[in-house]
Amino acid sequence: MGLINYNIEKYSPKQLVIIPLVLLAISLVMLALNFAATGMPVTPGIDFSGGTAVTIFSTDSKEQIQSTFADYPLVDVSEGVNEGKFLKFGSMDDTKYNDLSTLIYQKYPDASINQIGETFGKTLQSQAVLAILFSFIGMALVVFISFRTLVPSAAVVLSAFADMAMTAAAMNFIGIPLSLGTVAALLMLIGYSVDSDILLTNRVLKRQGKLNDKLTGAFHTGLIMTTTTFAAIGAMFLVSWFGSVQIVAEISAVLLIGLVFDVMNTWLTNVGILKWYVLKGGGK
Amino acid sequence: MNTKELKRFVSDWRIALLLVLVVLSVIAIYPHFDEEGRLASNLQYGLDLQQGAWLQLDMRAEVVGYTADRPLEEFISNLSTSLDAEVLQVDANHLEIRKYYAQADLESRFIAAGGQVTSYQQGVSKTTADSVKRVLENKINSLGTKDAKVNTLTGLNNVVRYIRVELAGVDMNQAQEIVGKQGRFEIRIQTTGNQTEHVLSGDAITSVQVPSQEPPGSDNWGVGFTLSESGAAAFRAAAIQYGATADPANHYLLMLLDNETVYSAPLSDDLAGKLQNENIRQLFASTGAGNYGSQQATNLEIHLRAGALPVDVTIAGSGGVSAPLGERYKQMVILAGILALITVGFVIYYRYREPYIVLPMVLINSSEIIILLGFISLIGFQLDLPTIAGLIAVLGTGIDQLVILTDEILHEGKVPSTGLYMKRLTRALSIIIVAAATVVIAMVPLVLMDLSTLKGFAIITIMGVIVGVIVTRPAYGKIIMQVLSK
Repeated sequence: MGLINYNIEKYSPKQLVIIPLVLLAISLVMLALNFAATGMPVTPGIDFSGGTAVTIFSTDSKEQIQSTFADYPLVDVSEGVNEGKFLKFGSMDDTKYNDLSTLIYQKYPDASINQIGETFGKTLQSQAVLAILFSFIGMALVVFISFRTLVPSAAVVLSAFADMAMTAAAMNFIGIPLSLGTVAALLMLIGYSVDSDILLTNRVLKRQGKLNDKLTGAFHTGLIMTTTTFAAIGAMFLVSWFGSVQIVAEISAVLLIGLVFDVMNTWLTNVGILKWYVLKGGGK
Repeated sequence: MNTKELKRFVSDWRIALLLVLVVLSVIAIYPHFDEEGRLASNLQYGLDLQQGAWLQLDMRAEVVGYTADRPLEEFISNLSTSLDAEVLQVDANHLEIRKYYAQADLESRFIAAGGQVTSYQQGVSKTTADSVKRVLENKINSLGTKDAKVNTLTGLNNVVRYIRVELAGVDMNQAQEIVGKQGRFEIRIQTTGNQTEHVLSGDAITSVQVPSQEPPGSDNWGVGFTLSESGAAAFRAAAIQYGATADPANHYLLMLLDNETVYSAPLSDDLAGKLQNENIRQLFASTGAGNYGSQQATNLEIHLRAGALPVDVTIAGSGGVSAPLGERYKQMVILAGILALITVGFVIYYRYREPYIVLPMVLINSSEIIILLGFISLIGFQLDLPTIAGLIAVLGTGIDQLVILTDEILHEGKVPSTGLYMKRLTRALSIIIVAAATVVIAMVPLVLMDLSTLKGFAIITIMGVIVGVIVTRPAYGKIIMQVLSK
């Protein structure tokens, strides 16, 4: 695309990877700090920690809602656009919960309620952690099998890992909780992230021609790929955000953040490592 | 393109396959106007897109690995007495305890009964889970709820801890009333005086018939029900052991729901005689004559059905969406999908400035979505919010890969010869296949792990990738070749 002028050839491998590596280090520190504070690298939402989430559409103010539910463990009220309100309650026992749902249906008959018990949340959490772990290992295996060379494959896997770590850190920063939906988004990110990495590696290792030409060509294709994906997900984000469809808004927000980091990790981290590998004589 | 060329083009296997699949998908989706003139289709919506409620039930029982230093039968009966619970053998090394006990508590009781606990997992065996599922389904259906789904979530080691119930058209409180208050059903037999002994639990009842007259037309009402093979054996053994076959009048049979007697009567002389000789699976509980008898029979039928849950359950999670909110979500996601497709079209146009490239891309992308929707309606899968997010994400990866194809083929801006074209197409497809394989691998854990709501998302993503690699990308390759050779 004509708008972006980025000359990969101008920079040395070291210059290319320095910014993402610093960012990755900061992200990992942030995740570690969060892990120390909450026991999870990303702050878990009610899907994993247990609790009740309520969506209502109402002109009532935050204060009015807080006073309505003063007797219940209301943790947070956040407001979307279009009068959408998202209420979060902590865990409570069954009787209290039954009273709460009766009260909600009485005051806001059109509410949507989701409640997850603490133990069930724990089960979901351990399954989600396993799912992410297995997905990542599976992805790494496919990459190693298809390229069969250590450095380029490791570069792809590192870029994917950096994508996930940075996105997770950004989620903490912005305040998107880890839920079933956002776990799915993170897994989807594994797929998106390797898309452009594989294109890059394939072009550089398997095509004839000058390295810089191949890099520039791959960059052009890669960027348009990311832009189209970004456009599709961006449309989904805007509509779901304006329409207060919280789970879809969170999924698409995580994907958007991930795609931005993916551009950086593909065209700085991965390119840097690959360039270094080819320049020192690999890949011939 | 003249007619002859068009014919040859359409009969290419890639194009033909795509067209056939799109047509079949549209038939499977079956968009039509219903009697009220609204647009309807075969697509089923999940609970977040229509009014409905879901409940996640946690089964209060555990499957325990064990070793015993005495005969199994003696060990199990010791345990059963000490725990005051049904203890069933799952396989050679595992027992199912149908009552909740913490691990430490169980360990000491196992030692007292002459054994050891080697593993502990909350939940029930697959067989028991299936019977819980069947019972719940019967109960919900008998209450006339229109659209219900009951799914067991099998964990590792084949132990099932959670059951998910989805009910369309009711709110959460109603759903809890329907499902949450499960009774525990039991048949006991009178031994001496007021003493009774456990004979079987509700899960031994495999089916319950509607109230009927026995003999037909006699105005003597009752409910027929069928016992499982093992249930019938237990029934006969108890009847003989406690003397009910010899002296029916002093050995009443009692049916209890949540420890309240809902039915009590002696064995009929006829049945007592038969039981001496063989197991009887088909039983009939008479409730009396006339209106009273008929009313009692109806109640007993509900009790027999409703009470048949073999283990206690608690609600681990629940949720519900109201009709207006579901409708709103539905409109939003349709809007999001259409908008995503249009935006993608614009971006592609901005990059290539060539309607002959943009149009096929967008058409291929839409056909992919149609094929996926067709597949979803065919397997009766429910569209819910995460699944739709998955569809839009598939749209994103789909267009990605079409860009890879186009750029590989258009390399250096020249229109390639057929030989070179094939070489480039193959190379592009190899990139796409590796990328597709990673997406599939990344999603497989979600399909296998029963993370309830994410399963749909993962299945759709995987399907989308497969349809893309097998059908739509090759077809696009053919189309773009045709376009470029103009």
